[in-house]
Formats: sequence, C-alpha cells, structure tokens
Amino acid sequence: MNEPGAIRLTINGRAVDISVSPNETLLEILRYRLGLAGTKMGCDTGECGACTVLLEGKAVNACLVLGVEVNGASVTTIEGLSSAGHLHPLQQAFIDHGAVQCGFCTPGMIMSAKSLLDESPNPTEEDTRLALAGNLCRCTGYVSIMKAVAAAGKVIRGGK
Amino acid sequence: MALDYKIIGKPIPRLDGRSKVMGEARYGDDLSLPGMLYVKVVRSPHPNARIRSINTSRARGYPGVASVLTAHDIPGKNLMGPIIKDQPVLCGEVVRYVGDAVALVGAETEQAAEEALELIKVDYEILAPVLDPLKAMEPGAPGIHSGGNIGTHFKVRRGDVEAALRETAVVVENRFFYPRVEHAYMEPEVAVVAPEPGGGFTVWSSTQYPHLDREEVSRALGLPQSRVRVQQMMTGGGFGGKLNPHAQCCAALISWKTGRPAKIRYTREESLIASYKHHPYVIDMKLGANRQGKLLAVEATLVGNTGAYLMQGRAVITKSVTHVSGPYYIPNIKADAYAVYTNCVPCGAMRGYGVPQVTFALESLIDELAGRLSLDPVELRISNALDTTLPNATGQVIQASIPIKEMLGRAKLKVQSFKSLLQEAPPKGKLRGVGVGCSTRGIGSIRKASRSTAVVSLHADGSATVACGHVDLGQGSNTMMAQVAAEELGVDVDRIEVVTNDTAIAPDCESTSASRVTYVSGNAVRLAAAKTRQRVLEIAGQDLGCAPEDLRLMNGSVVYREQGVSLAELFSKHTFHNMTSVAEFLPDTVPLDPETGQGRPAGTFNFNVHVALVEVDEGTGQVRILRYVALTDVGRMINPLAVEGQVYGGMMMGLGSALMEEVNVENGVTNTSFATYLIPTTFDVPQELLIDVIEDPEPTGPFGAKGFSEGTLDPVGGTIANAVSNAIGIRVTRLPMTSERIHELLLQRSISSPSKRG
Repeated sequence: MNEPGAIRLTINGRAVDISVSPNETLLEILRYRLGLAGTKMGCDTGECGACTVLLEGKAVNACLVLGVEVNGASVTTIEGLSSAGHLHPLQQAFIDHGAVQCGFCTPGMIMSAKSLLDESPNPTEEDTRLALAGNLCRCTGYVSIMKAVAAAGKVIRGGK
Repeated sequence: MALDYKIIGKPIPRLDGRSKVMGEARYGDDLSLPGMLYVKVVRSPHPNARIRSINTSRARGYPGVASVLTAHDIPGKNLMGPIIKDQPVLCGEVVRYVGDAVALVGAETEQAAEEALELIKVDYEILAPVLDPLKAMEPGAPGIHSGGNIGTHFKVRRGDVEAALRETAVVVENRFFYPRVEHAYMEPEVAVVAPEPGGGFTVWSSTQYPHLDREEVSRALGLPQSRVRVQQMMTGGGFGGKLNPHAQCCAALISWKTGRPAKIRYTREESLIASYKHHPYVIDMKLGANRQGKLLAVEATLVGNTGAYLMQGRAVITKSVTHVSGPYYIPNIKADAYAVYTNCVPCGAMRGYGVPQVTFALESLIDELAGRLSLDPVELRISNALDTTLPNATGQVIQASIPIKEMLGRAKLKVQSFKSLLQEAPPKGKLRGVGVGCSTRGIGSIRKASRSTAVVSLHADGSATVACGHVDLGQGSNTMMAQVAAEELGVDVDRIEVVTNDTAIAPDCESTSASRVTYVSGNAVRLAAAKTRQRVLEIAGQDLGCAPEDLRLMNGSVVYREQGVSLAELFSKHTFHNMTSVAEFLPDTVPLDPETGQGRPAGTFNFNVHVALVEVDEGTGQVRILRYVALTDVGRMINPLAVEGQVYGGMMMGLGSALMEEVNVENGVTNTSFATYLIPTTFDVPQELLIDVIEDPEPTGPFGAKGFSEGTLDPVGGTIANAVSNAIGIRVTRLPMTSERIHELLLQRSISSPSKRG
C-alpha cells in the first residue's frame, strides 16, 4: 500500500507537521486531514478552480498538487484571508456586489482574485478576465465578480 | 405608483454571504460523522442490457468493505421518480443507459470502496440500444419500458390550423435542434445519511427539495415519511438538476444495512455521465401570417429525448407545448409535444424546462417571417404581442402586468443603436449582426397548481422565525423571505431567522423550481407575517381601546400615536409566549384540458426581450457577443442585487447552450470532464452586458413581484441565433453554434446563393 511521508506545511501562517501518503493531494490534506473545509472540491482534475489556494503566494489548483512535492511550502487558504473576524477587502466586496450566490466557487474565486491583486494592484478588465478564467462559476455570470474585484482593488490601493 | 418600502427593493446583502466568503458555509462534503462509511456505485457500461448475474463475493470480502448491496437487498420499494416511478434505485433485471446503477459498496475509506467496485462482476447480455428519439417513436422500435417509448404526449389545439395555413400569405417552416445541456453546478451530488436512535434516519444532502428526498428515501427503506428527516446542507447550485435523490437513496441503503453513517459523493465524471440533463429537442415548426405580418397559425411537433427515465419529462414537454405561441397572439394552433424514451442519459428539469427550446424555434421563424415580408423584426413582434385582451396558447387572457410592448419598444431603440454600430466597417474577416429574441413564461408548475405554506413566529423581542419549505440554492430566496417578513413585521432584516432546510420544521412547498419561490412562497410568507401582525394588533387594540388599523408594529413594539407597548409586555399580559401564524398561497389557476391544452395554468407571467450584437469570424466561425441587453420583467424587485445576479447568471447559462454546450451521447455520455464539456468562463462574458429591469407590478404577487429566474435564460438561444443568422446571412437551425457548425454554414454560403436557407 502507500507508505506515508512526513511533511511540514505552513498553512495560513501556522506550521503543521503531518504524515501523508504519496498520492494525497494538497486539497485532500487541507479538507480531510486538517479540517480546512473552506477549499472546495468541484472536479478534482484541475478544471474548475474551486480548490484554488495560494502556494508560496501563487494561485494553484490544490487538487493538482501532491502533498509530498510541497514539503516546506507555505499555503494560504480562504480561512487565512480574514483576521480576527475582519474581512479582507475582496471578501467584503464580494458580499457588497452580489458576487456570491451558491458560494461553492467563491473561496477559489477569491483566492485567484487575491493572487491577481497581489501581483497587479490595478488590473485592467482583461487582466481580471485572464486571472479568473480558470475559476468556473455557474450562478453569477461573472459580471458581479469582476465588479467586486475592481472595487476591492480600489480599496486596497487606498481609495474608498 | 412607486411605493416606498423600508426593505423591499433594497439591495440587502444576502444573509449567508459572510459565511460563504469566509469558507465557513457547510456543504454536504464538509460533513463527517464518526464511523462514517463511503459509498460507491457500480454503474452500467452499456446503454441497453439484461443483467444475467451479479457476483459480489470478492467485493464483500475485500478489506475495509462493510456492505455490498444489490436490488434484492432493498427493504422498501425499488422504484423512484419525481412524476412516475420508473427508475430502479438499483437495477435488477435490465439496465437502460450508461450510468444506470446496479450495486452499492460501503467501505471504511473511499479508496477501499473504489477498489472493491472493480471486484464486482456483472454479467450482461448486451442488447442493441435505441438512441435516436425519432427512431424510438417508430412503430416496432424496441421498447425501453413496457408501454412503449412515448413517455408523454401533450397537445394544444385551437381553431383550424389547416384552413388558416391555406389562407395565409406567407408560411415559413424549419426543423430546429436544441442541445442536451448539463446543469454543471459547481458542487457535485453529495449526501450523508445516519441512523437515529429509535429506528429513523437523518439525511443531509445537496438538494432542491428536501421533502422529495424524504419521500424517496423513506420509500426505498420501507419506512413512513415521519421516520426520515432531511436537512438540506448549503447547496452549491441546482438549476433543476438536484431534484432526483438517487444519491440520497444509495447512502440511505448502506446506512440502513450497516447501522452506520454513510456518505456518497459523486465524482465530477460520475455526475457528468449519470445525472440527468436538460432535454434535447427536435422541433418541426410552421408559422403562417398575412401580408401585414399578422400571425395566423402555428403548427409544431416538439420531440424531447427524455432518455432512459422520465424524470420531469412529462412536465417539461407540457411546458414547452403550452408556450408554443410565445408572447404573441396566434389564433390557430396545432402543436404536439412528446417526451420519448431512449437508451440515452435521462433528461429532466433544468432551468428553462422546455421554454428555451420552443422559444429558439419560434423566434427564429418570426425573424424568417420578417425577412420574407420585408417587415422590421421588432415591429412585427410588437404588432402580434399579447395584451390584456388576447389569449395565449392555452387560452389564458393575462389580466395584468404584461409590459411586453413597452419592452419591445425599448428593445427597438437598442437595435437601432446596435445597427448604427454596424455602419462602422467591421474588422477584416469579421461579420457582424444584430438579433432580437423574446419569450414569456407562466410562473409555477405546469401540471398542477403550486401551493406554498409558511409559518411565521414573532418573538417577544420583535425578532421572528420564518419556516417555509422552498430552499435557497444560491438564488437568494432565504434573503427574499427575510425581507418580506421584515417589511411586514416592522423590523430590520437581521432580526429575521429563516428556516427552509429542514423537513422537520419547514412545510412542504413542492420543489424549488418553476421560478415560483418569490411569487408563491413570498406570498405565503407575506400572508403569514401579516396574519401574525394582525393578531398582535387586535389584542393590543383591545387593551388600548382602539382599532387595529390605528396601530403599527415596529421594532418589537405596538405603537399607538406616541405610546408604545412592547411585545414582551403584551405577551406576558396575555397567554402568549410568541405569536405564530400559518398561511398558504395557491395561485389562481385552472388545469389544462388534455384534449386541447386549454386552461389557466399560471397566476402570473414573466416577459423577456433580449438584444444581441454579435461578431462572427469568417475564417473560424467563432462567435463573439459584443453587446447584449436583457430586458427583464420582474413585477417588482425585492432585492436588486439578487435580480441582477439572476439576469447575468441566466444569460450566461443561456449563452453556453447557444455557443458551446452539448452533452454528446454515443452509447453513453462522452463529455466526461469540464475539458470536454465547456461552460462559459470570464472570457465569454460579452464586452457589454446590460440589464434593463421593468417593474410593472403584478397585483397578485408579493409587493407586486413575480418570478423571472428562468426567463433570464429562455430567449438567449433564439436571440443569439437571430443575431448570428443576421451576420452570416443563413438561418441557424441548430444549437450550439460552435465554430465548426458556423464555419460549415459559411462554407455553404460561399458555395450556394446568398438566399439559400441552411
């Protein structure tokens, strides 16, 4: 059977030591081993983006990352975005702009948007479409999501 | 007259928004119970076969396997289905489509369950499948079920179509194809079932109708419904696709057999292959008009491929045929619709429910007619549009809130502005065109009237609990109910608790579907809240010596002129601990006559007019939407954020069917991932997508609101097809308009004369 390997991950700023099987994905580790259920499994094959997390600050599909290949890495999940109950501007903007409906794509969508804004604080609409093109949403039609990202960007840059 | 409400019409952020953006909302797969088993399903790889034997012995002995079940293990009934019970929970004798369920495994881990699946040997006698619905309708075709392959036939008859067509100046006709569509909710099917002390079960599921889960699970287990409690988990999208609780029954059977909790979670591939879809249609339609463009007759045959099991097929084809004349008055109608069994994946409810399909055909022919008569396509629609004097396809004269002519008038301006953009020469190698499409939809179920029941409980501190059985799938209905109750009870929305997700608490309002939740349940909630308020004011009135009409309920107090009496005081003075009332709402309807299709099936109708400006690449056939306007009739907006969300979302879902989505069946479904079943992404959103909301209040709706969430999708296929046909000069008759198909039409155009119809 699968032999476990010991890895260390820093999840949302906290170090975690865990034994994982070679075929365990980062998504499975987050959801089923570490109780971080905010990251969702929509397809488990890297096509929907619902499992997007930040790995070393970059957006990845956690279902395509094996735990054993990211020993020592830092990971940010949706649970790590707010601090002491204060929402990140992206989270607030998603609420304010009606960019959340069923909410299943939302954590992954927000993490992709965070990755975009971290890199490009003032993205064009094209930049935003490109950054979010790997996050499928069936409810919202994306318009409110893109408005929310633009609004959050403005807040982060110091606007109102 | 615009009334100023405190809460109705305000863009209140949805009540569960915070939990969703924080990743705290709990969906079915986020639930884990101690001792929980994982359930996997053995599914048929053949579209049509007899089961000779099933060998489960090796699977039973596999490490980690707790239970293996087949048809003969089912304690209750082994047939399920939302309209007729024609689907085995587990097939014992025959399998009818690739994906049909044959056996279940419950194991300690998902991996063990998957591995044990491989060890179950089913010996099939493979039979020739019937996949084409037109062939399945032929006499002598192999029967999918006893009783023949026509699962349902429904018809509309009015006037004399044959005579009318002889006298019309122009007749246009064509055959149209609308694709089989996958719901593609982001959350795949999931259910957890656990036994309760005392012999009952609790089901936690991703569902649009917890009471149906309760009905089917209790049937399969041979228990009364009162022994099964269903709690809807946060549900990641439904769109009509979570109305057949097969997964719930599978988990329940394993839980029943083992006495342990059991979770079933479909993989995306499993969901794409096995779950039911939106009916593909073949439509033959003929439309006749006089020289002035007055529509005189429509004749149509609509064939929906319902696949191996009927699901909601009976209602879907009834809905489509009763909308055969769309938002127009057509005096003579002869239309027949069929839900036909085949060995394809079953088809059932999906947003639109037969109306997108018939709308595509009708709107295309209207444009054809406009072309043949050299009439403006929008003017032609205006001159035939329904009003409060004209009967629709079922003979219903809608009494109020028919803003279609005003909407078409606005659309005409949009068309003109888009056409002026066409004057600018398009980039080399691109063709541009403008198209219009419109639709109407009766709100509520087509086959029987929809009754909702709501309970409103007012607490001593002025806060309240609303219990009502229509569930929130993301469309925002819980927030709508809170807004309605808050407005009636004079409190802020955050003082309202809404419970819809528990069969033990919320009354059955039938499924969350048919665009009816705001209209039917919104009304029930409003009536229950008003009743509650009235009872409080009557008691207070007696105490204060005045009429209840002189009193107001505000923030937990009864207010009389400058004085206030708190509810706490009022309750403690009398025998109340809270004030609880129940109310029902039943739309005013008349059932359809089975011979003529005439009746009054809906209490209100929603109208939609869409306009598109498209660009087609001459080399590749790829279609891009440059500008799109969705004019949407909502009666009254309860929540503008939610309204926008439904319009954008419905439009983009419709865009998918129009341009890229088609579930392909060769034996079984061949698009088994999102890499081969493409749905719209951010790249597909039109450069400009605008909404124009029309508020022409529906007198029988809560605060004037009606339903509209399917209406946002209904005309999209027809609108984009009309725009593309305008751009390329050939009539599009098949959706989706993939680049390959448009490229093919463009090749034909360059070979043949420009006036040839494709």
